[in-house]
Formats: sequence, C-alpha cells, structure tokens
Amino acid sequence: MFSGIFATPQRRAITIGALVAVFALLIGYGAGWLTPSLRAPGDNSPEAGFARDMSTHHAQAVTMAMTAYPKATDPEVRQLAYDIALTQQGQIGIMQTWLKDWHLEPTGSRPKMAWMPDGAQELSPDGLMPGMATDAQLQQLDAAKGKQVDILFCQLMLRHHLGGIHMIDELLPLSHNKEVRDLAQTMKNNQQGEVVQFQNLLSQLGAQPLNS
Amino acid sequence: MSISSPQAGGNRRQSSKAVAGGKPGTGASARSGASTKAGAAKTGTAKTGAAGKTDAPAETGTPAKAAAAKSGAKSGATPAGTGPKARTASGGRPGTRTGGSGSRPGGGNRPPIAPVKVNNGRHWGPIILFTIVGLVAAGIVGFGVYEVQRNNRGWQDKADSIKGIVDYRKTEKSLLQPAQHAYGKINYPQSPPVGGVHNPNWERCQGDVYPDQIPNENAVHALEHGSVWITYNPSLPKDQVDKLASKVRGNDFMLMSPYPGLDKPISLQAWGFQLKLDDASDPRIDQFIRDLRVNASMEPQATCGQDSGNYVTKTGPDPTNLGQSAAPTPSGM
Repeated sequence: MFSGIFATPQRRAITIGALVAVFALLIGYGAGWLTPSLRAPGDNSPEAGFARDMSTHHAQAVTMAMTAYPKATDPEVRQLAYDIALTQQGQIGIMQTWLKDWHLEPTGSRPKMAWMPDGAQELSPDGLMPGMATDAQLQQLDAAKGKQVDILFCQLMLRHHLGGIHMIDELLPLSHNKEVRDLAQTMKNNQQGEVVQFQNLLSQLGAQPLNS
Repeated sequence: MSISSPQAGGNRRQSSKAVAGGKPGTGASARSGASTKAGAAKTGTAKTGAAGKTDAPAETGTPAKAAAAKSGAKSGATPAGTGPKARTASGGRPGTRTGGSGSRPGGGNRPPIAPVKVNNGRHWGPIILFTIVGLVAAGIVGFGVYEVQRNNRGWQDKADSIKGIVDYRKTEKSLLQPAQHAYGKINYPQSPPVGGVHNPNWERCQGDVYPDQIPNENAVHALEHGSVWITYNPSLPKDQVDKLASKVRGNDFMLMSPYPGLDKPISLQAWGFQLKLDDASDPRIDQFIRDLRVNASMEPQATCGQDSGNYVTKTGPDPTNLGQSAAPTPSGM
C-alpha cells in the first residue's frame, strides 16, 4: 500500500523530502534538548564555584544580620540588617536554583575558592573565605548589647562586604554567563553602596573599621 | 485552464521574487508561482532559486543540473497540479495527485517554455552521503542525551550507590512525614540519630566544629535543614579529627562533634542516611557530603544560621530548650 508514494519521481521526491524533514526535526529536537546541558556551566566552572561559595559567604551575612536586627539600637543599622538578611537570603535562593538548573550538586568536588586563580591562598587558616567573621567574632556579636551591637555589626559587615566584592571581582573576568555576571555585578553595586553607609555609620557611632 | 489567481497577469518579477525569497511554502510564493505558467514556474524556479536571475526564461532550456532538477521537480509539482486552485497549493502536497509535469496550463504572457529534462534516476551519492551524515548526527545527539540522562540521576540514587551507606528513608517511611517538635530528651532508634521528632531549636550548622558532644535533639533539627553531621568516637586520633574538621570548617550546612559510645570510629549523618567508617581519609566521606549536603534537606532553603534569640551552639548531652524557659522536661519520646 505504500508503493504509491514512490510511484513517480515527484512522489518519490516528496516522500524522501518528508522523511528527511522528519528526521531533521528529530535531530534538531534532540540537539535543542541537549544544548542547554552542554552550554550550562560545568562542575568545576567559575560560575558553579561562585554560586556555591557565595551561598556560604552570604549565609554568614544573613546570620550576622539576623543577630543584629533585633538588638541594634540605631534605626539605620536595623534597617540595613533587615535589608541584608532578606536580600542575601533571596540571592542564595537564586544561586542554588542556578545549580539545580545546571544539574549540579550544591556541593562541589573541589575545595572552596578553587574556581579562582590562587583561590586556596585566599582562605584564612580556619578555612574561611575573605571577609568572613571568625567563630569568636560571631560569639562576640551574639553576646553584645546596646550600642556595641551597632558598632560590631557595622565593623564585621563592612569587612564581610569587602571580601564579597573581592570574590565578585575575581569572578567577573572569568565568566561569560550573562545571568551570573548580572547578579554578581548588582551584588557588587549594592554592597559597595552599603560599604559607604557602614563607613558613615561607624564614624557617627564614634568607631573605626576593623584593621583586617 | 482558467487562472483564478489575482496575479493572473503572471508578473514575472513577482513570481521570481517570491521564489527568490526562498519560502516556497508561503502562500505568496505558491500563488504567484501558480499565476505564471506552471512550466515557467517549474523551470524558472529551478533557475531563479539557484541563480537569482529572473528575466531569462530562455535559459531554462539548458540542461538542468542534478540539484536544480531535483528542486525543480519538488517545487514544480505544486503549481503544475494545482494551477486552478492556486490558493490551496501553499502546502504543496495536493500537487502529487496529478503526477505533475504532464499537464502544462497555458495562458500567461510568455511563450511556452521547453520542459526541463528531469533526471529520474536515483542519485545514490547524495542519498548515501545524507544517510551517513544523518546517522552520525543521530548517534552523536543520542549519545549526548543518554549521557545527560545518566548524569542526572537523582542525588538519592547517587547516595544509595555509596558502599556501606544505610538509607533509612527506604525502611522507615515516617522519616518522610512532617517531623514534630518536642522539648526535652528524645530517644532515637539509630545511634547517632538520623531524623525524627526533634527540638524546636536547631544546633547551628554553619561549618561548626564542636569540641564536645552536642544534644541529639538539636542536631537532628540541623539534619532536617539539610546539613551533614559528622560524628566521631572521642578516641579518634587527633590527626584524623583534624582531617574531618577541615571538611567542616567554613562550610555552610556542615557540623561536627564527638559522639561518646559511637560503635565505629566515624559516623556520617544526613536526614535519613548514615554511613559508618573507620578512617578519616576514606573517599566515601566526600562522596557522602557531595551527594547529601543540602540535597537531603526536608525544608528546602531552611538555614543553618540563627538569630540572636535562638542561637544554639551549646554542647553537652542535654537539649537546649530556648523556647521553654523551664528546665527540660521528659517528653516521653
């Protein structure tokens, strides 16, 4: 019953053409389905490393901000703490969703900061990323009362932001992923703005930024 | 044969323009193609499609090359068969009914054009070439799809493939139910516990290396939030403890503590999963962390940090009951 479709050169041409078209569509569909996976950042890419490490970096900022928020005395400090906690928690969600979309685990197979050149040297002896507070400093903030909360939070968060900005500056030349670059750039812009706020607040509070 | 198309004048320019546009499937192309003489459309198509020249019908008499003939046959069939109903011809398929080249609707403004000799023989060269290229492409794409699928195995499957791991989620379905909060001491079927009812306050799990035992009840809450809890027998040599600590410090969703009475030197916990080991340099430790950290969370995006009112970093065997000002009371669980 199918012999009719080859009866004439025209029919044959149309049949072959149709088959080729169907085949091409199938290949195209498969390739299209595959392409996002091939184009997505890989397990050892700067983008994946940034998403993982910046999630951890942000998480400590959220913890410090949530600690300071109910206790700080200066309304501007409390507003900043609220803003930082919610903004950075939201950004963690974005970065974790990237990893899911790229079919990568939240945990990398390489050490922290290995995605950036000489990244391992950037870690503190405690294995902390740039700008992160030590356990002792977190305890200090936790135990602080009154105006001391405002000062300590501004000091720790200022240094935390500078560390985060440094990591972003390492990422930007390494990544061509627009989505990642865009978020990183806005993170940097926001944190730079807040750095100025912290500097002003510290001078209002009669305190100095931390030395290191 | 009547020419029903609005472009009955058979404007040559229009015809060739549509064809040159390279969209024979569009209505405009089919209509104008039909409005000229079918013969002209046929040969003209082949010509203009290839050369982009329009006003040289005489050339059509020249021997059609294989490729041109092929495309000519394909596109020529359509207007030829459907000349009277040009408008329906856009798909090109109805044309197959007439068998095409025999009928040449006359009319139009130009003299008839000598038909092109269409080579009806099979062009095995291109057929084989396209088949091979097609199969290779299909193979590459298929292999890629397979690899991606294989890589996308779920984290639970990956964790289950770790040698020696115990997946309590498979045997104790209650671990997959919403877990209740309770104050006071809670008895757990596993040691160390891997999930279940737990204290409302979670032990901080932001890379915390606790020097002493921590309360099960608070640690289980940290597991619920997706952390991996590394426990070790207090007799574990210091260099091994340091090795474990290096996997924890500074890493969100990780915590570690000694566990008195542990039946193995080292035990790793995630919600519903446990892996007991002898050596801190066992590669399965990294595998466990990689597969289960955050992934095993029962509360996606729950945090490991705390605010100042709920900070739990205390050590000791008794649960921290921040929400309950009274002394711990036995809950009976």
